[in-house]
Amino acid sequence: MRNQASAHRLAAALSFGLSSLALSAPATARDLTIALSSNVNTLDPFKSTTVGTDLSVAAHIYTPLVDRGPDLKLRPGLATKWEAVGDNAWRFTLREGVTFSNGEKLDAEAVKWNVERVLDPKTAARNKPWFAAITEVKVVSPTVVEFLSKGAYPDLPDQMSMFLLMPPKWTAENNPAVTAVGSGPYELVRFTSGDRVELKARKGYWDEKPAFDNVTFRILPEDSSRIAALTAGDVDLITGFPTSEIKQIKAGGKVEAGSVAGTRGMFIKLNGLRAPFKDQPKLWRALNLAIDRKAINEGLLDGLAEVSACQPLSSVYFGFNPDLKPAAYDPAQAKKLLAEAGFASGLTMELEVPTGRYIQASDIAQVVASQLGEVGVKVNLREMEFGSFMNKYIVGKNLGDSAYFGLGWPTLDAGGLLNFWETENPQSYWGSESFTQGAKAARSTNDAAKRTELYRKLTKQLCEDSPSLFMFFTPITYAQSKSIAWQARGDDWVRAIDIKTR
Amino acid sequence: MPAHLTSRLGEGLIAIWGVVTIVFVVSRLLGDPAVLLLPIGASEAQLQELRTQLGLDQPLPQQYLTFLFNALRGDFGQSFQFGRPALDVVFERLPATAMLAGAALAIGILIGGLAGALAAIYRGSLIEAVVLLVALLGQATPSFWLGIMLILFFAVQLGWLPTGGYGTWQNLVLPAVTLACFTTASIARLLRSSMLDVMRDDYVRTAYAKGLGPRRVFTWHVGRNSLIPVVTMTGILAGELLGGAAVTETVFGWPGVGRLIVQAIETKDFPVVQAGVAIVAAIFVAVNLLVDLLYTLIDPRIRQSR
Repeated sequence: MRNQASAHRLAAALSFGLSSLALSAPATARDLTIALSSNVNTLDPFKSTTVGTDLSVAAHIYTPLVDRGPDLKLRPGLATKWEAVGDNAWRFTLREGVTFSNGEKLDAEAVKWNVERVLDPKTAARNKPWFAAITEVKVVSPTVVEFLSKGAYPDLPDQMSMFLLMPPKWTAENNPAVTAVGSGPYELVRFTSGDRVELKARKGYWDEKPAFDNVTFRILPEDSSRIAALTAGDVDLITGFPTSEIKQIKAGGKVEAGSVAGTRGMFIKLNGLRAPFKDQPKLWRALNLAIDRKAINEGLLDGLAEVSACQPLSSVYFGFNPDLKPAAYDPAQAKKLLAEAGFASGLTMELEVPTGRYIQASDIAQVVASQLGEVGVKVNLREMEFGSFMNKYIVGKNLGDSAYFGLGWPTLDAGGLLNFWETENPQSYWGSESFTQGAKAARSTNDAAKRTELYRKLTKQLCEDSPSLFMFFTPITYAQSKSIAWQARGDDWVRAIDIKTR
Repeated sequence: MPAHLTSRLGEGLIAIWGVVTIVFVVSRLLGDPAVLLLPIGASEAQLQELRTQLGLDQPLPQQYLTFLFNALRGDFGQSFQFGRPALDVVFERLPATAMLAGAALAIGILIGGLAGALAAIYRGSLIEAVVLLVALLGQATPSFWLGIMLILFFAVQLGWLPTGGYGTWQNLVLPAVTLACFTTASIARLLRSSMLDVMRDDYVRTAYAKGLGPRRVFTWHVGRNSLIPVVTMTGILAGELLGGAAVTETVFGWPGVGRLIVQAIETKDFPVVQAGVAIVAAIFVAVNLLVDLLYTLIDPRIRQSR
């Protein structure tokens, strides 16, 4: 935006200081540059589930049936309306006359083809687990399509907001990893892996014209470099730096910085399948009371995290229980419970901490360890690389005593998240039959009122039994140039269509 | 091709095979990529299905033989995350790496060579002291810190150069200088000490005794003879630079091989790790062969003794 900015300055000077006029009527094309912290690996929306990079970029070129706006609410995308048909089907009505930029029709048949591509084992689609519950796609008419599932699939419309539709014929003839043709507001100009993706506004887009003519995503992995690039005017929007930088960035006066609570809840998972935590509800409760979440938030995250209300869900999730409050910090009570559980003389446990994934994980784990130390629980920290941790945790099914871990669910629905505590889930490490049955019941219906009621009970049980110690929703930080306004969102999507000019 | 070069080539090929084999085994020990490729919450069956599609369900010896057989034909398999042949992914990043390495090496040879020679010629003077101090600092400065400082000064404060990225010569300046810092310092220090060694040799004294001027002595007697260790080290430096400079690439958002291989290791993208390491090993071997060739050009004794 540097050239544009200097053009603005020139225009302002020429119009004798009427800079606001010059800004509202630019003579140049509107350009936007967004810096990403991780690489864009593929443009194929079926071959990645990384929202913050691959899918965000792909979402400019391809469009979903349903769109999730910056307010995290669903709004029509290619579908104008959708409704549940009983407990086993959803019916979507498509916009008429929408085509991909190569002229292929985007009708019910194209939607059906897309679902079948995801489910075909040969595609090796990475997002298959998100749609695997769909058993059949019925084309009712060119503009009406039905998704059938074995059981109920209450958050199917939410999941559809991540289903970017591709043109059948074109996809069969091209490698969608490196090139792209879609029905979205932008089209691909250039994709240089490791460096940048350049997009330009597409003529003939079926919806409102986007605010920017050219959008560039640049890969700048280093936090300091991203901040420098923004300050120098090379990029307009950056995200994902430590909260401690916000003050510094603001102090420069050239750009704005802030944060928004993320949708990924951090917690400490206790391994309830083996000693010392097996069948020790009092011990779990004791640990829950011994962690001062507020102090960690204030001390390490500048108070910008949203402390968990004793449940894995934040207020933006369907099924959030507003009656629950964050776990109290009560070391005296914790000590008492520890003694009652038979650990009066103390306890030594390990805490596994995956690195390189979660904001300030090492720092947070160290504070947790020292807080637990105050009530007589000695914590041995075991830091390990994220990939190794996931192998131990999921493939090896060999979690240590506990782990610092985070979970968000892209549909923002309780069903997906609570599933991780059901006994059959390999990540559960907890054997509660009553919870599992309740969670299954909640998943078996599309009836929102019934589900809400069930999720109130389930979240309450999770809070009281505390098989995991819910910590907080870490903030997503961002900084932007003063010429744009990003409607910051906590669910990782970074899209030009959520940005306005000023 | 001289006999010793042929044998060096053979040794090089064995080295590449060894490196690739070790990488194959070690990467398999790191664990399962499927759990990182599918979204969290994927079922056991879904993980297994993806493993089958990626060929990871085969017994390890069979995977290895398949890999070796295909690699010999130039096929390192499809990248798990880039959706295209792993070799293409690596080759795509090579020009950026070559450009950066070439620039850093050119700066290193030019400035390092000049500074080292000056320090040797004016030994005991202020020039030598300054060169030695700067070189020591240059070798000790972490490229991470230097890179950020250069960005803050030249890109943010002065606005002369872009903060990062790839494509124009302006993008190249700061990362090349950052990377060249170590190279320059190393070459300067080694050339200086090597020249000082040679200057004490009998044939140099003889040359002076014959009545040759200092310029002739330095160019023909000292210069040429002190180059051997410098060429060796430059070769090693060149090999390292061409293997990618992950830290500098990360600071400047430079799309080179170093960052690619680090990313591939983190995400357990085995084909890219294998292709990347094989290519880097091959480059190392090629540079070493080149250094051997240079020896024979510089030093007639090596030519005759073999």
